Amino acid sequence: MQFRHRGKKSEIENGNNVVSIISLKEGEKGIVSHAVGGFGLLRRLAEMGLTPGVEVKVLRKGLFSGPVEIEVRGVALALGHGVASKVFVKPLKDASNG
Amino acid sequence: MAKQLRIALAGNANVGKSVLFNQLTGLNQIVGNWPGKTVERAEGTLHYKGYKIRIIDLPGIYSLSTFSMEEIISRDYIAVEKPDIIVNVVDASALERNLYFTLQLLELEAPIIVDLNQVDCAAKKGVRIDAEKLSIALGVPVVPTVAITGSGIAELLSTVIAVAKGDKKLEPLKVSYGREIEEKVHALEKIVKAKLPQICKVYPARWVAIKLLERDADVTEKLKNYENGREVLDYAEKTASELEKIHGEPSPVIIASERYSLASKIAKDVTEFEAPPRISLEQKLDAVTTHKILGYLVLAGVLASIFTLIFAGGSLISAGLESLLLNFSLWVEQWFSLFLPQIVVNIFSKGVLGGIIAGITIALPYIVPFYILLALLEDSGYLPRAAFLMDNLMHKMGLHGKAFLPLMLGYGCNVPACIGCRIMETERERFLAAFVVTLIPCAARTVVILGLVGRYVGLHAALALYAFDLILIFALGRIAFKVLPGEPVGLIMEMPLYKRPLIKNIALKTWSRTRDFIYIAFPIIIIGSILLEALRLSGFVNYIVEASNPLMSGWLGLPAVASIPLIFGVLRKELTLIMLSELIPLDSLTPVQMVVFSLVIMLYIPCVATIATCKREFGWKKALGIALVDIALALFIGGIAYRILSLNASLSFFFLEA
Repeated sequence: MQFRHRGKKSEIENGNNVVSIISLKEGEKGIVSHAVGGFGLLRRLAEMGLTPGVEVKVLRKGLFSGPVEIEVRGVALALGHGVASKVFVKPLKDASNG
Repeated sequence: MAKQLRIALAGNANVGKSVLFNQLTGLNQIVGNWPGKTVERAEGTLHYKGYKIRIIDLPGIYSLSTFSMEEIISRDYIAVEKPDIIVNVVDASALERNLYFTLQLLELEAPIIVDLNQVDCAAKKGVRIDAEKLSIALGVPVVPTVAITGSGIAELLSTVIAVAKGDKKLEPLKVSYGREIEEKVHALEKIVKAKLPQICKVYPARWVAIKLLERDADVTEKLKNYENGREVLDYAEKTASELEKIHGEPSPVIIASERYSLASKIAKDVTEFEAPPRISLEQKLDAVTTHKILGYLVLAGVLASIFTLIFAGGSLISAGLESLLLNFSLWVEQWFSLFLPQIVVNIFSKGVLGGIIAGITIALPYIVPFYILLALLEDSGYLPRAAFLMDNLMHKMGLHGKAFLPLMLGYGCNVPACIGCRIMETERERFLAAFVVTLIPCAARTVVILGLVGRYVGLHAALALYAFDLILIFALGRIAFKVLPGEPVGLIMEMPLYKRPLIKNIALKTWSRTRDFIYIAFPIIIIGSILLEALRLSGFVNYIVEASNPLMSGWLGLPAVASIPLIFGVLRKELTLIMLSELIPLDSLTPVQMVVFSLVIMLYIPCVATIATCKREFGWKKALGIALVDIALALFIGGIAYRILSLNASLSFFFLEA
């Protein structure tokens, strides 16, 4: 009975609790699972260090649907809202020992 | 004869390559704390221990794939021109990320030395890197430096010489991948070697194989020109697809992941965390300046205080210099008329001397403070924060936050700003950004706006003009975005740490920009002034004035002579105000005329230097397109503004009552 599921749309869609980076709160961490988008975007993201399996931390989120600043591989990276919404992560529950 | 060496500086954006370059060569390559500042390579020469060393500063890039123009420039330089040694500048505070690039240099089989720079920043983060361990891991020399203070530079140079002499041997790490990828690379490498011996003379076969597997656009394009190219490409395509089927990801992502995991492993092995990082002043500043609400208040405050400072400082200095130099010119004129015919004296005093004085009193007082403030903004690292805040708004114009960087530069001069548009990812975005940049009032136009409207009507009116300009840019950007075909690209930008700007760097940068201004602008101002004087003496001015009268007075409500400065203004925008002041007393204009004149100057045709830059970046058609749109826009809006301001009592009240 799929209709009865209540919860975040992205969670239902992905089943195994993978969410887009924009659904993380400031200070929360996650492990990159995958990204969706064109060939160019995926490559660009990978080259900036956002490869599957890497840990990211959301440092800051902009006003309204603003950009998201994340930390990845020791570097602060600003991602536009559209870009950030295409990167999916597995949230780490306990931010302190992630 | 001195032995010659050619060294290229390569590395990620914003790791201090330009700072190192300046330290090595003593030249003033513009440095700044924002990614993407060096868009063209700079060259300098250094003499050291009997060597004549040519140093090339390559643009900062993240990878050697061909995503942006800078990446192609750097890669081709390294691969094709084969410098003797490549100094790979690495940011010690972000080692993992930087090693990703180092690994690619190793794959290109380039002779590299690693300059472990910004070890002070790393220490601030509580990170210590074991240079010796890193050197063993990579198989190349590693020299720790702090380029900004010059520490470690001498060691770096002697290492360069030692490697060049062959005293120090490089045993570079062989970058290897997982078994599946390695097998495919091997097979592809063999085919490349067999089928394309010509290309293997320039590029290492293994590197070509890896790039083919990554579906690199530039390498693919190059191969198409070879006889067997197609065949190899077909095979590469098949191999890449196989790899993608196994992993379920595009091949460049698979290969990047592997490279990063190697970089990550090396970085972990050589890094020691000394102290838990404390919250520093820089971090607090970062939190405030990118805050959802506070950030925007700070941005508004920063911009407002910049213009107030420039205006207050500029008008004060301008008025002081004017009275000083006026007496001087009268004295020179009298002295000259003792032994020279009157007409020569006229041309000299009104043309040459008048031009110089106008340049000094009208232009410099506004330009120098602006350059100082711009340098502060650049060096501190504030610009990327502003870009972060503006991302949302920029998206509405089909651009993204990074476009804010050339836009801000545009307030200094449109020329570097147009070149700076190269940091945008696609041709479409570069053009869109450049179009918007030409509408940004550069320092020269600021001279006109502040020197005319600001000084005679009031600062509030000048600020209103800037605000109007921003609204107009936004509206036009939006239209252009809708008209130009293509998909917008999202923002992916590195945020550098805040740094305390060094007074020496600020002074150097301000001086080098001011010097450029004097060298380029003053001759044009002087020649323009002489020409104007000649035109006036010959009576030719009247013809031009008569012909343009309907447009000038009829449509724009300006004095008819205003057409002369507008024509000459194509050379330099500040020349318009200087010429206008030579033709009629500035205070004889009505406030509405001043506003309309400044408005037209602010928007109409970009100066020759900007047009030439646009031509180089985008070709004649697009450069002329920008120029024509700008002219039409300026005349249209100028006429409308004249009518609204003359009719609407409340608006003109705002402009009249200072």
